[in-house]
Amino acid sequence: MAKTFDAIVIGSGACGGWAALELSKAGMKVLLLEAGSDVNPFRQFRHIYPYQLEYRGFGKPGFLRRYSGTERNYRIMLDKTENPYTTSPETSYRWERSRCLGGRTLHWARASDRMADYEFKAASRDGYGMDWAVTYDDMRPYYDRVERFIGVSGAMEGLPQFPDGVFLPPMALNCAESIFTAASKSLGWPSTQRRLAQLTQMHENRPPCHYCGNCVNGCDVGAMFSSVSSTLPVALRTGNLEVRTDSIAAHVRVNSEHRAQGVTYIERFSKNPVDVDAKYVILAGSTLENTRLLLLSANGGLANSSGTLGQYMIDQVSAAGVTGFLPKLKGGPSRLDDGKSSGITIPNRLNFDKQSARKDFIRGYVMNATGGQTEYPLFAGDLPGYGSSWKKEVRSRYVAQARVWIAGGEMLARKENYVELDPEVKDHWGIPVLKIHFTHCDNDRKLIAHFQEEARELFQRAGGEPMPGMEPEPAGFPGGVGAPDSGPPTSRTEKRRDPIGGSVHEVGTARMSSDPKQGVLNSFCQTHDVPNLYVFGGNAFPSTGDKHPTLTMMALTVRGCDHLVARAKGVA
Amino acid sequence: MDAFARNATRRDFVQIAARAAALPAAAEFFAAWLKAAQDHSHPQPPPAADFLRDYKPRFFDDADFSALEAFTEILIPTDETPGAREAHCAHYIDFVLASADDVPSMQKEWHGALATLKELGFHSADASGRAALVEKMSLRNDKAFPVFRLIKKQNAFAFYTSRAGLIENLDYRGDSFNEVFPACTHPEHHQI
Repeated sequence: MAKTFDAIVIGSGACGGWAALELSKAGMKVLLLEAGSDVNPFRQFRHIYPYQLEYRGFGKPGFLRRYSGTERNYRIMLDKTENPYTTSPETSYRWERSRCLGGRTLHWARASDRMADYEFKAASRDGYGMDWAVTYDDMRPYYDRVERFIGVSGAMEGLPQFPDGVFLPPMALNCAESIFTAASKSLGWPSTQRRLAQLTQMHENRPPCHYCGNCVNGCDVGAMFSSVSSTLPVALRTGNLEVRTDSIAAHVRVNSEHRAQGVTYIERFSKNPVDVDAKYVILAGSTLENTRLLLLSANGGLANSSGTLGQYMIDQVSAAGVTGFLPKLKGGPSRLDDGKSSGITIPNRLNFDKQSARKDFIRGYVMNATGGQTEYPLFAGDLPGYGSSWKKEVRSRYVAQARVWIAGGEMLARKENYVELDPEVKDHWGIPVLKIHFTHCDNDRKLIAHFQEEARELFQRAGGEPMPGMEPEPAGFPGGVGAPDSGPPTSRTEKRRDPIGGSVHEVGTARMSSDPKQGVLNSFCQTHDVPNLYVFGGNAFPSTGDKHPTLTMMALTVRGCDHLVARAKGVA
Repeated sequence: MDAFARNATRRDFVQIAARAAALPAAAEFFAAWLKAAQDHSHPQPPPAADFLRDYKPRFFDDADFSALEAFTEILIPTDETPGAREAHCAHYIDFVLASADDVPSMQKEWHGALATLKELGFHSADASGRAALVEKMSLRNDKAFPVFRLIKKQNAFAFYTSRAGLIENLDYRGDSFNEVFPACTHPEHHQI
């Protein structure tokens, strides 16, 4: 007979950690299932220079075809050979995934921006798509709660399109960021320090950042927010949380009353199936894995009376920007420029009110800029020349690197972008995998083209200069050190890859709606069809907005958990 | 204390931890944190790996390895700072290629590159002949430019990920423990 819990939470990333925390604090007995292993960043992620690693961070040639990431952090990534997915012929989407306790919170960029009211009401403003079932006023107290706990460094700016929050002192700016700030100001564009879940002072028993850099390898002291450093330890201290790692959720079981009965998961190494029951089931893995589970849990998909499950997959447009050098900084001394998650933010300036409305495309984007020293000089292999003069030029430019990139370019939600179960391909455990259908539309392309022009303008105003005489990449360059699969990425003066590809901000596929016929979830991320089934992640997003999604996902989780707890107590 | 120097002392960490430990429930956490700081503060970046110093080529034969070594040292010479020789760049490239059995196309390309060098007479040329050949190959319209580019990119990676390149040449400041982030204080950077 299956052991019964009050709630089963699937996934231990940003949303799973918060769900475990909120529900266990409320006195519920919670089981958390994590498909990956317990990778402890305190023990396993150290300050390691590339020359201390046999393969300088990129693994044995061919190794990184199996894992995303690097030799330093592959343990927090997912084994792609065990976990394939498929795509339709017209799709070039790259789905980046983690499988470990803490999920992507161990290596995320920590950008923590609130969505503004205009983003929740995008459809009302421009007539495209569907408004969110929540407003900024609904979300504000939950943004507050999340920020108070995770700790977000940032500056108050008073911009309606970039709502202020509960901030720790902002990160200091390095020289390149100061130059870009001045350039932005001279163009009349507001800018501010990036808002980051990275501590600038002691907070919630977590130490401040010690500015070592390498944040994407997992923070070894918990100064950057992750489930492992923040939510899960507090949840575990309640005594109400049990965590089972290496436990791969296979499907949600539903009883005759059409309520979630529990979950069947597979033990990762033995492949044994295990049933666990609960009064509530919470899917809180990564967005597309949540949808995969719903598709696996009933013919035609669980909680899919609307027929929209899997549809309206969206991801912010990316892969645009300008890189080069700031002459003002050339030849200067080495500085710790990359010891933080660097950058300034230039909030969206388009289509959020009548004054900023454009006729050629709808929605907007956020721009980031930074520069200075990085660990590896990506440009060196492309810088023309050789010999002592080349070496001196590399050294001179090393501290003068600069880049402008798109942080959150809104992509339009379209029904024809969807996921389904692949009828033939299964993962290592025999579970059908996802097939992704994903393309961009003209509006997406116009938006990113506009960004590219504006990025160039900022770069030029800052005095930036491109790489001289770029050497083109040889055709058919094989795998090896320096190749995409197992070496450092090659630099480009202007990165204009096909924007179809994915920016790790995938959302949608089980959107929220006030009308149950229009979406899978209500405003609390509870499924319209199965009252004891909640889905926390990016699934609920009817539109991407122009902000990084994680803070909003966490706030939606806390709001949904309040609703769940109230129901459990019989007060909702 | 120089705020962004990498020479944080044990006392610095003890002081930070002591201040933080005044907060409730922090003791256990900070014991671990302090230990991490002590173990990994890198008062000086650690030395280079020994294995390259004693490494015997496994991928290239003696003649090809010797040619590759010479080529890398022309590309990144030893001057007032270390070069490819001190960084053992050719040894590292050989080590990676010897480990690349799963990527046979990579091994094939490098064998081809060294065969081209041999055909061009690099192996048998004297120092000035080799320098002239490298100069010719560095021109984009030269037929052997792809070989030059291949070796240059791998050599750059081998060098700037080595201690000689990253620390002694570029003076990289990261991977260290620091009390504050070094803010820009240059007035000329705050105006356009």
